[in-house]
Amino acid sequence: MSVIKNNRGEPLPAPEKKLKDRLIGFFGSVKLAVSVLTFIAVTSVLGTIIKQNASPEEYLSFYSPTILKIISFFMLDDVYHAPWFIAALILFVINLMVCTYIRFFRYPLREKKVRLPEEKALMSFNMCFKVSKDREKNALALIKKRFRRVIYEGEDGVVLEKAPYGRYGVLLIHLSIFIILIGSLIGLLWGYKGFIVLHKGEQKDMMVIRGRSPKEIPLGFAIRCKDFNVSLYPNGTPKDYVSRLEVIEKDRVLFERDVRVNSPLNHRGIHIYQSSYGASPTFVFNVDGESVSLREQDAHEDGGFIMIAMRFERAIHDFGPGVQVAFLDDGEPRTAWFLRDIPRMRQKELAGKRVILEDIKEDLWTGLEASYDPGIIFVWIGFGLMMVGLYINFFVCPGKIFIRRLPEGIIIAGVGSKHIDRFQEIFEEIKGKLYDNDTP
Amino acid sequence: MTMIHHKILGLVTILYLAIFFLHILYFAVKKEGLVRLIWVFLYITLALHTGGIIARWIDSYRIGIGHAPLSNFYESLIFFSWSISFMLVLMKKRLSYPLITMFANLISLILIGYASISSGVEKNIQPLIPALQSNWLHIHVITCFISYAAFVVSFICGLLYFFNLTGARSPSRSTLEEINYRSVMVGFPMLTAGILTGSVWAHYAWGSYWSWDPKETWSLITWIIYALFLHARFVRGWKGKRIAIISIIGFFSVIFTYFGVNFILSGLHSYAT
Ligand code: HEM
Repeated sequence: MSVIKNNRGEPLPAPEKKLKDRLIGFFGSVKLAVSVLTFIAVTSVLGTIIKQNASPEEYLSFYSPTILKIISFFMLDDVYHAPWFIAALILFVINLMVCTYIRFFRYPLREKKVRLPEEKALMSFNMCFKVSKDREKNALALIKKRFRRVIYEGEDGVVLEKAPYGRYGVLLIHLSIFIILIGSLIGLLWGYKGFIVLHKGEQKDMMVIRGRSPKEIPLGFAIRCKDFNVSLYPNGTPKDYVSRLEVIEKDRVLFERDVRVNSPLNHRGIHIYQSSYGASPTFVFNVDGESVSLREQDAHEDGGFIMIAMRFERAIHDFGPGVQVAFLDDGEPRTAWFLRDIPRMRQKELAGKRVILEDIKEDLWTGLEASYDPGIIFVWIGFGLMMVGLYINFFVCPGKIFIRRLPEGIIIAGVGSKHIDRFQEIFEEIKGKLYDNDTP
Repeated sequence: MTMIHHKILGLVTILYLAIFFLHILYFAVKKEGLVRLIWVFLYITLALHTGGIIARWIDSYRIGIGHAPLSNFYESLIFFSWSISFMLVLMKKRLSYPLITMFANLISLILIGYASISSGVEKNIQPLIPALQSNWLHIHVITCFISYAAFVVSFICGLLYFFNLTGARSPSRSTLEEINYRSVMVGFPMLTAGILTGSVWAHYAWGSYWSWDPKETWSLITWIIYALFLHARFVRGWKGKRIAIISIIGFFSVIFTYFGVNFILSGLHSYAT
């Protein structure tokens, strides 16, 4: 850098840059982008090496207490939600915004006025050639096929342009990152996720939000599981599971739909996914001639008599399914096993009552995930824009062609404004064609 | 049960080995005719490789669990090596240097050889679990592996540049740089497409488009490394060794995304092992 000197030869103090410009310079620099991105990449690696969100006991089985202290101090057990990680993301967004602002909005992309350079200037372009006058029409027609935009036309010649939007690819890419991050922020702030467990025939209008203290929140409508089916491959692995759901509002069925893995239902912005399934047993007892159906952990009370279906086992040794029942015998808690497939073990006297296990029915339940994410639309738009931007940036090849009329013919010169080497190939191709035509 | 596709792919493995020896022979005797022979072999191998994949696809329908062969680890290895050969043929005009084709071919050989020899890789056609039954799976896998193949080419150029492996009939250093950035120009958009389609798929299958699962995170890390490559190259004007080093680091990240995550870390994608 040269130092400005006054007329006595002493260096002048450098003109004080305005604070605003210095800030913009810092936050918009690509150097900062490189540092922040490197930081995000390296810390993301940590997040994949150190197990995330595990319990202290689990960490202690891997690490010494001192290391665990370091891990929890820096929140390395939850890297992607740690304040410093979020701060890096925010710095990244600021960087991206400022950089986009100075690159694209402070300095306009397109020159205001295009002029046709003189012959001498055109001759010095490294892509240029001349053809005779009678070929002019032919040449123009050929070039116009690829260079459609006319940006200057006069007595002395024309300037044609190809894919002027080519330089907007970068802008689209960077804007799309911004849009995606905004979308995910919206999702983080206003979105929520929960689950719903439905037995066949059951109807619910609440979902459960996971967490230390799970809570139920209203869906805004009700869903009923009309049917649920699992199909298996011959080797027993699941092939498909499908819940037939009815969406109900104000006691009216709006519509019904099959929800399967990879094919969620969307209603009022809430996506409902097929996530898991299971079977839960219902025990049909006969207590002194009265039929009693219990699920696991359900209790049956009748006067002083109380019995609870405690535990279900699908197979007790080879004897088939059974249930353990707890009851009070003279105030003393006792337990007894009932086995469905062994007649001798199906009936017992419990506290003076005759109890028979008539059947164990297993009904399937479907486990549904529900999520509400108002930001998702931005994420999708961002994805689309990013792909368009990448395509434009890497595969579109913008440039200009200058054609000047001379007394003896025309001179054709080209400049690519990105992917110069590919532009040159296009130019050579045109040149090749015109030369062939030119010399019979 | 040996099926036709196993036979074809076995033959393809042998052909990759043969091509590798042809390269060695070329470097020993330096006969230009051998380069043409290498390319003939490469075309035949790619055709058979394609045929093998299609045969496996057809076989999967024959046994009643029909799906495109892009779902388990074995199939991904086969497809990865296919993508590398495909990339070679696609960019033949630029890549026609024995040194480059030899390394690319060697990587194909290692991948397909590992797939067919290792006992830890399930080779039979497996039914698709419900989460994998999605059309997004196909574009996700195809875009990811095309990008990986492009990064293989970039890696080879970086490697040759870094160790200054230039000799007779091998690319000049500036050609290496040019091929390197051209392959990143193919790889980066493809990797982006791979990550984005994976994300859309995760949204439909699991209800969240990003969950910081190790494989996702590693693909993001890889993506950032190649974004750094582009900015270093085009904005800050880096050249030469530094760019070569970024492409080598980038490739290690690709390898870790593909293998390391499956073997060392676990997560949503662990079914792919
Ligand atoms: C992960 C995030 C980013 C991605 C994926 C990305 C992607 C890209 C791509 C693909 C290019 C085009 C390279 C070329 O072909 O010339 C580019 C150029 C550029 N990027 Fe980024 N970028 C990211 C972040 C940033 C950030 C944070 C800044 C802010 C400093 C930035 C500043 C630039 C600049 C100044 C250019 C050159 C624009 C031009 O050619 O005029 N990028 N970026």
